[in-house]
Amino acid sequence: MQKTNKEKTKFSRDDLVAGLMLTPAIVFLIVCSIYPFIWIFRYICYDYNGFTATFTGTRNITRMLSDKTFWNSVGHTFEYAAYKLIFIIPLSLLMAVLLNMRMKLANLFRGMYFMPTIISTSISGMIFAFIFATQNGIANSILQGMGIIDSPIKWLMSRDWVMVTVTIMAIWGGLGNYMLYFTTGMNGLSEDVYESAKIDGANGVQTFFRITLPMLAPVLKVVLMLAITSAFKDYEAIMVLSKGGPGNRSMVMFLYIYNLIFGSTDSTSQAQIGYGALLSIVAAVIVGAVTIIYNIVAKKLDDVV
Amino acid sequence: MEKGHAVYSTQTKILRGLIWVFMLFMAVLMIFPVIYIVFGSFKGNSELLVGGTNIFPKKWVFSNYSNAWQQANFARYTVNSIFLALGVMFVSLINSTMAGYVFSRRKFKGKEILYGVFVMFMFINVGSVSLRPLFELSVKLHMNKSLISVILISAGGGQATYLFLSRGFVNALPMELDEAAKIDGCTFFQIYRLVILPLLKPVMATIALLSFRQGWNEYILPLVFTMTNENLRPLTVGVNMLKNAGDGAAAWDIMFAGASIAIIPMLVIYCIFSRNFMSGMTAGAVKG
Repeated sequence: MQKTNKEKTKFSRDDLVAGLMLTPAIVFLIVCSIYPFIWIFRYICYDYNGFTATFTGTRNITRMLSDKTFWNSVGHTFEYAAYKLIFIIPLSLLMAVLLNMRMKLANLFRGMYFMPTIISTSISGMIFAFIFATQNGIANSILQGMGIIDSPIKWLMSRDWVMVTVTIMAIWGGLGNYMLYFTTGMNGLSEDVYESAKIDGANGVQTFFRITLPMLAPVLKVVLMLAITSAFKDYEAIMVLSKGGPGNRSMVMFLYIYNLIFGSTDSTSQAQIGYGALLSIVAAVIVGAVTIIYNIVAKKLDDVV
Repeated sequence: MEKGHAVYSTQTKILRGLIWVFMLFMAVLMIFPVIYIVFGSFKGNSELLVGGTNIFPKKWVFSNYSNAWQQANFARYTVNSIFLALGVMFVSLINSTMAGYVFSRRKFKGKEILYGVFVMFMFINVGSVSLRPLFELSVKLHMNKSLISVILISAGGGQATYLFLSRGFVNALPMELDEAAKIDGCTFFQIYRLVILPLLKPVMATIALLSFRQGWNEYILPLVFTMTNENLRPLTVGVNMLKNAGDGAAAWDIMFAGASIAIIPMLVIYCIFSRNFMSGMTAGAVKG
């Protein structure tokens, strides 16, 4: 009798300890994730500049519906995500396949492809701003030296080119990441299939399209989803590289929202937190909707293939 | 037949050679921006402002670094960056191993739901707006005078990935270890401290690297929190403030040196631990 009692108290003491060990994680979850999420909804109907909040009813919503800059920034976000994915997914898959051929120095190359991912996106935005400077940037110097262009390209200062520059930076910064996902996926494929393909006389291209790609389909699906969601959330590097300019041409939605919430780095305009809160909910819904649509499409494709 | 085979093999050799050259080209392209900035940091300002195609400086100038260090306050920024990165690392390590252990070994009501909430908030992303309430909260708690609040928010925001990593790792350890320790009289915490934690070293190394990088590279968060307090800025914020403040191309030399100071420590760590970085990245993605 005494023994079970003793066990019982020991059990509850362990329970207490377990609860204490879990406390930091739960406090973090509540303070850093749940509290800000609820806080946002508090201000969507207010005009709030960080000091005083006034109730404005539906004015934020009507403003959003007619806010061309915001809807353009949504369009730019889709544009940016499309450019980034079109280049980065095939290229990272190609590099993973080539690395898998286990040629000389392949490990060193892999390390070099992956290297940009350890650099802060804010610093890489800055580096690319130097490289693509119109007058003294090295990109223009090299292109002019090779005779490809006659006059310097306004990489960051013209509406036609800024998205190209932003995309180049995005590819550079993300390639290593997706390459690594594909490499890991390919390591999971069995060697036997490749052996038998070799015996059947399949060449490299055939092997890729008939064996690697179909077997990699589940990995590709996950990687695509990660790539889509992260592309929609990118704004840190763009904020440093082009500040969304020129003329809001490279303004993506989360950058626009940042400028509303904390005031733009260029101007001293007042923060418009209530409006920004509403837009960030809309932006989160857009990202969520894209993710869901992607999952439905991916599932449909699965059934067909 | 044998001859044909030989021809095929030289063809393959040439093809493989071409592929190798392409891979080398890509590798050079990928590291070019870093090479450019690091060697550029030894150029004089006039050379940088003229531009040109040379990567190596015509004349090596070392004063950029001492100028950045002394005049542009980079000594302070570097200390802040180290403090921030180490802080995020320690908080993440302690928090994620404890929570991962409890999640793996303990049965309690609502565990799956709680776990689901962690996963859910990993995917809900409302962007920078969530920093506003946290900023106001830290002002209210008078925690905006140090980087502690930045460390806690960074570690808290990124905890889910590390939690999954360490939970997965504890799951893979045999339960017999716990039971044996329990028979020897270990309490729940002692099992963690004396049995589990020493075995978690590999995953702790991964979490340490990833969270150190996270803290070192954090930008928007410290930018917002140090808007009015220059002495708390880490390197990422400090060097970008220089870019915003400089009228046009005034101080390229100092900015190049500053950017180099911000990336070189991370590059050195990467050169030593590149394998751990890569395995950590994929493990995080697969588990998450």
